[in-house]
Amino acid sequence: MAPAEEAGGEFPVGMKVLVVDDDPTCLAVLKRMLLGCRYDATTCSQATRALTMLRENRRGFDVIISDVHMPDMDGFRLLELVGLEMDLPVIMMSADSRTDIVMKGIKHGACDYLIKPVRMEELKNIWQHVLRKKFNENKEHEHSGSLDDTDRTRPTNNDNEYASSVNDGADGSWKSQKKKRDKDEDDGELESGDPSTSKKPRVVWSVELHQQFVNAVNHLGIDKAVPKKILELMNVPGLTRENVASHLQKFRLYLKRIAQHHAGIANPFCPPGSSPNIGSLGGLDLQALAASGQIPPQTLAALQDELLGRPTNSLLLPGRDQTALRLSAVKGNKPHGEREIAFGQPIYKCQSNAYAAFPQSSPTVGGTFSAWSNKLGMADSTGTLGSMSNSQNSNIVLHELQQQPDAMLSGNLHSLDVKPSGIVMPSQSLNTFSASEGLSPNQNPLMLPSQSSGLLAAMPPSMKHEPVLATSQPSSSLLGGIDLVNQASTSQPLISTHGGNLPGLVNRNSNVLPSQGISTFQTENNPYLVSQNSVGVGSKQPHGVLKTENSDPLSRNYGYIGGGAPLMDSGLLSSQSKNTQFGLLQNQDDLTGSWSPLQNIDSYGNTIGLSHPGSSFQSSNVPLGKFPDQGRGKNHGFVGKGSCIPSRFAVDEIESPTNNLSHSIGSSGDIMSPDVFGFSGHM
Amino acid sequence: MAGAALRDQLSALLSSMFSQGLVDEQFEQLQMLQDEGGTPGFVAEVVTLFCDDAERIIAEIATLLEQPIVSFDKVDAFVHQLKGSSASVGAQKVKFTCMQFRQFCQEKSRDGCLMALAVVRNEFYDLRNKFQTMLQLEQQIQAYDHKQQ
Repeated sequence: MAPAEEAGGEFPVGMKVLVVDDDPTCLAVLKRMLLGCRYDATTCSQATRALTMLRENRRGFDVIISDVHMPDMDGFRLLELVGLEMDLPVIMMSADSRTDIVMKGIKHGACDYLIKPVRMEELKNIWQHVLRKKFNENKEHEHSGSLDDTDRTRPTNNDNEYASSVNDGADGSWKSQKKKRDKDEDDGELESGDPSTSKKPRVVWSVELHQQFVNAVNHLGIDKAVPKKILELMNVPGLTRENVASHLQKFRLYLKRIAQHHAGIANPFCPPGSSPNIGSLGGLDLQALAASGQIPPQTLAALQDELLGRPTNSLLLPGRDQTALRLSAVKGNKPHGEREIAFGQPIYKCQSNAYAAFPQSSPTVGGTFSAWSNKLGMADSTGTLGSMSNSQNSNIVLHELQQQPDAMLSGNLHSLDVKPSGIVMPSQSLNTFSASEGLSPNQNPLMLPSQSSGLLAAMPPSMKHEPVLATSQPSSSLLGGIDLVNQASTSQPLISTHGGNLPGLVNRNSNVLPSQGISTFQTENNPYLVSQNSVGVGSKQPHGVLKTENSDPLSRNYGYIGGGAPLMDSGLLSSQSKNTQFGLLQNQDDLTGSWSPLQNIDSYGNTIGLSHPGSSFQSSNVPLGKFPDQGRGKNHGFVGKGSCIPSRFAVDEIESPTNNLSHSIGSSGDIMSPDVFGFSGHM
Repeated sequence: MAGAALRDQLSALLSSMFSQGLVDEQFEQLQMLQDEGGTPGFVAEVVTLFCDDAERIIAEIATLLEQPIVSFDKVDAFVHQLKGSSASVGAQKVKFTCMQFRQFCQEKSRDGCLMALAVVRNEFYDLRNKFQTMLQLEQQIQAYDHKQQ
């Protein structure tokens, strides 16, 4: 329908009003009055029919006036739905003038509340609500536009669809934003020529934004989280309730999926082949991903999901998934996607070792790294990604760990139980990666030098808060293999969280991310923590250091991490561990908050972890080694893609924590500081 | 009857309705909308809608109150509805009696509700009669005017 301006461009003449009331008398009176105000009035005596009409033609109306008490649907419910779906101004009306009811209306988002009998003067003013809303939206769009824009420039958010932010320019920013949204259906806003019509630009849910969202939801409690309150808590200029509402819907679905996954997660160490998903992820997907170079956010999300879902995932899977995740993550985000792919592949091959169980893990690890590196933008190239090497390292480390279960993670190593700690470590201990609190207690903090932070995040609980770094004991075994780790300045903290710390692995010094990544995990306590797992093992720098063999362990880690330990590998290893984190994070207990899959790596634990409820991850609280910068809420490193929240929702059942890794890697929009990745260039 | 006489009758009727509190400013607004807005049958339409709806509601309430166990919530919902209708048309007295009726609903007193229902019914019938007279007069006036033209 033509917008109000059709009536000669004289707003509010011709403004389209829909009146919903089961009382025919009132309907007739209102209609006549509205006509008297020169509005274009449509009446409807059934709320359900009104909703259908609105859904069919969103732009058909400018404002809704609805009665509170109706037989087929509660007026407040209609109010909510209209607000969520169409975001049109709704005016409530009733003969009931009790304050509490009026308040209820306002709380539900009513623009106004009229007491019957409605007078003509009151109706004459309703156009103000329409205009006000439009202006506010425009303003929001503008803001969000700029907001988005900023994000866009960030490596992480490369969302092409970001139409809005574009500052198009000069002409009414909101207009340009509107245009940009060509893909966006939301554009269906009132097209009225009225400049105030705002087409909300598409909001890109960056990792940060998602983290904020998750925090808000957490704060409110997933059950009580309503878009309006979430919006208020988030306090993001330019963000509309509709954005939040739709995002919340997806989030809820995501949580559900996580829960399902979680429930469905089988034993942690399911053989690679056992889980179809993983399998696919591991080998096939990765390859595919690699090939495609583009892992859509959804995949990533899905991966993460999977990861999360898997409480313990055997390392196997995680590794695989992680890689996949990573790749996807990488891809998704980022421009460097390609590079990563390359890595992913090789690493993948490396696997094979010791952890038969995690064959994939290696690739993942490596892959992840690369992915991350790319993401971070640091690594300028795959080279840095070295992740391969990292993965290799990690593999090695893992491998080592594997061999010495005791030595390694302090006992965690259960057969690759990928504990949430996210540490890729084959053994549970990997979980430890999550150095942060969440780390599963048993895990040995293999945690690699915090540098790799991301990976290490998984610092094993034992490590406890120790920044992933070096965690403590340099498990010889690990170290041995990992030796590279040290080198890797990227400090990919070896996730080896084996109980000790693989000194070698831990990059402590590695330029790599200063244990931040790892330590970050700790920080927060995120349950999700993801073992930063950094693939710590070898996290080494992507340089070929680890190469081979190790990769397996590393990859494992990832996988592991993803699985159980919330690897959040903060960006660093990010990719790898992170993903795990993601899965690990599982904070099981509360999805809220950590949901952001992409969220920063460290938040991985949180976000991604959405804590699959019940995820067995031990780590579940393993604090993801957050990356230094990443703080939970921040978009961590997940480079860009990760942030795409929507993708998360898309979660495909990818399981294995590895997914997480990848997820984290790619996702963190913010790519953690290059250091975190350790790779950053050092590789 | 002469047009003037008819008009006098109509205006006398309306005056008494206003002065007795049967109708209020809302009704006046409706009249204005009709006169100024050029929609002649508007008041007649609204009044008719109201009368039909009110009759239906009153019958529903009566049925509910006859049940062995009275659902006061449902009764209250109907009363609320009637209140809204009467408010929209400007039927002031009916509206007030509805408000009183709601009190009894909240007290969950069947007797109180039955009594309140009787009051509402009486007021409504009284108003309806007046409305019917008003509409008849208006039709006659129109017919007369039309004949005159």
